[in-house]
Amino acid sequence: MSKAISRRDFLKVSGAVGAAGLLAACGGSSNTGSTATSTAASSAAASVAGLSSDPVTLTMSWWGGESRHNAYQEAIKAFSAEHSTITVNPTFAAWSGWEDTMSTKFAGGVAEDVCQINWNWLYNYSKSGQTFIDLNSVSDYLDLTQWDEAKLAACNVANAQQCVPVSMTGRIFYWNKTTFDKAGISFPTTLDELMAAGKTFQEKLGDDYYPLHLGAYDRMILMVFYLESKYGKDWADPTTSTLNYDADQIAEGIDFIKSLVDGHVIMSLPTYYGSNGDNAAHQSTEWITGKLAGCFEWDSSATKYADALDEENKAGFTVGEEIKFGDYNGGFSKVSMGLAITKTCEHPAEAATLINFLLNEEKGASIMGSECGIPASKAGLAAAQAAGAVKELVAEANGKVMAFVSNQLDPLFESNDLKATGTGIYQEVFDTLDYDNASGADLVDTLLDGMESVGYSV
Amino acid sequence: MGMKASNAIATFFKYFVLILVGLIMIYPLLWMISATFKDNSEIFAGIGLWIKNPTLEGYKNALNNFGGSINILQAMLNTYSYVLPKVICTVVSSCIAAYGFGRFDFPGRKILFSIMLATLFLPQVVLNVPQFLLYTKFGWVNSPFYLAIWVHCAFATETYFVYQLVQFMRNVPRDLDEAAAIDGCSSFQTLYKVIVPMLMPALVSCALFQFMWSCNDFMGPLLYVQTPAKYPMSLFVKLSMDGDTGFAWNRILALSLISILPQLIVFFCAQDQFVEGISAGAVKG
Repeated sequence: MSKAISRRDFLKVSGAVGAAGLLAACGGSSNTGSTATSTAASSAAASVAGLSSDPVTLTMSWWGGESRHNAYQEAIKAFSAEHSTITVNPTFAAWSGWEDTMSTKFAGGVAEDVCQINWNWLYNYSKSGQTFIDLNSVSDYLDLTQWDEAKLAACNVANAQQCVPVSMTGRIFYWNKTTFDKAGISFPTTLDELMAAGKTFQEKLGDDYYPLHLGAYDRMILMVFYLESKYGKDWADPTTSTLNYDADQIAEGIDFIKSLVDGHVIMSLPTYYGSNGDNAAHQSTEWITGKLAGCFEWDSSATKYADALDEENKAGFTVGEEIKFGDYNGGFSKVSMGLAITKTCEHPAEAATLINFLLNEEKGASIMGSECGIPASKAGLAAAQAAGAVKELVAEANGKVMAFVSNQLDPLFESNDLKATGTGIYQEVFDTLDYDNASGADLVDTLLDGMESVGYSV
Repeated sequence: MGMKASNAIATFFKYFVLILVGLIMIYPLLWMISATFKDNSEIFAGIGLWIKNPTLEGYKNALNNFGGSINILQAMLNTYSYVLPKVICTVVSSCIAAYGFGRFDFPGRKILFSIMLATLFLPQVVLNVPQFLLYTKFGWVNSPFYLAIWVHCAFATETYFVYQLVQFMRNVPRDLDEAAAIDGCSSFQTLYKVIVPMLMPALVSCALFQFMWSCNDFMGPLLYVQTPAKYPMSLFVKLSMDGDTGFAWNRILALSLISILPQLIVFFCAQDQFVEGISAGAVKG
């Protein structure tokens, strides 16, 4: 037998191995740490260094589904063909878990050079402008005139143009013509017609047919649409997050939703949960088979709801009109996503050139099409339409929303504590409304307390 | 009624109950297999196994390669290229750490053991940011060898397994250690010649758990793997799941089914070892 290994020898060896590992690990650290700090300092300057003639490598990240992954990658290929000195290394995944990953990267100062971001990330991760650069400093490379002032203003946080909107989105009604034909009526365009449709559905088709479906969060959004149409002011001030409505007005809004439930326009939530639990409407048998004949959804979700329908109902999917509930064109649109350059980016000029290529230039925008929503950039939209790369259904919905809505969204509206499925305040309010047959006045305090706790001034 | 007949009836009922419960247990898996052949509207229309309009789209699309960056085969290879080192490191390091805590009386043992146990109660979410910062400093994020994902396992960081092994080791009589010492074994030889064979079932269960957890781990790879070509299965399955515009569930389910096949095989192979190990090696006389 070979020499026995004693405990002492073993400890010595394992200690040495451990120490070597640690040393090796620390050795690798020095250069990455120093580059991160030096770039953070340089990007604070008002203008940036011009395009480099040396080879440059950029990183970029986005979330999405397969077709978006493909579109981005193809557009990047086209970009590299045009700018041979710039290499772009992408990283991408689906939405779930993505915000956690990105927030960790933002915290660690190692996020990609160009990031696809959600609008409220500007407030969550760069409230004082600490994460993203002011795109005005790269306006030589990124043509900011392609966006309307209002759209750019929505992305201006802490006096810095922190991202450019890729697309705008808003809510609109979708109807199932197959079911409406069965009921023998046309799509509602006014509140009265909507209420009447509820009655007709119940009488002609039966108790389990409804002209519209609204989940708890949808109810909150429709309530805000209703109040904005009636009173003509934003739900809350977009910059200060001060609520513009008083308790009586909000109670009126909640009672409006209650009147829809009572009028058989929408299914009561307990009934819906009974057969579908937390699932969204497009995953419910009632939507698939046409028993729920309408929904109030984002324009970008059009295809999801259309594709979910079964053979009999698929052809009947129609984009409806916004309903005017009062004297004003209520309702809001929001930036559905933006592209931003992080402060840790070493080559902001090249990064801006990339964004410009993807959103404004004909080659890039025609490949991107409507994969990230209907382009908000004027030149981008024209190029995408000319190339036939825009989904018609989504374009139709988006066109109708943008032509109608006139209010702005505040960044706190979509706070997770408010809108989360199962635990959010919005759901608590509208669940209680149906379960306890409560009235608007009973629930105003719950809503206001919840809103106050996420930072609204009420 | 004779003994034989009543036995037969008893057996019949035993099997009846077992088969019934077994079917209920396996139903979700069967449903998953059948759902890979259905389209979305059929999947959400009911929970039956019957397929009205069978389609192979799910499997066809499962082979898509996302702009040429990554395909299913590469994703599987990627997964096992960090799962295997992770499992090996975990088992070896946990075993050594457990041996230290279970068999040696060194100063501060109790305190160190309590500190180690306390880390059991630290949720991973809390650790994410500091760990990420540390690995960024090391330059391990997006390392081609997945260093950030498995290296820490070589330092017995999986407290749960250390604890489990310490408990198992208590059942291994110290007489065996003493007998080994009399026969001339060093401490380390005692570990791998006497204790490890006795601990085999516990080690196999550690390896199995770690194998399953690592294969299913989503957040780790999402944080530390950034090159699409290096994505493991857990990320690959979700790549096409776009909540905004919708996606085909049959493809996700087909991908999931393919990705759990190796896990199922490993599990069935290890089952024998799992049971056998328990009866092997006991003190006699």
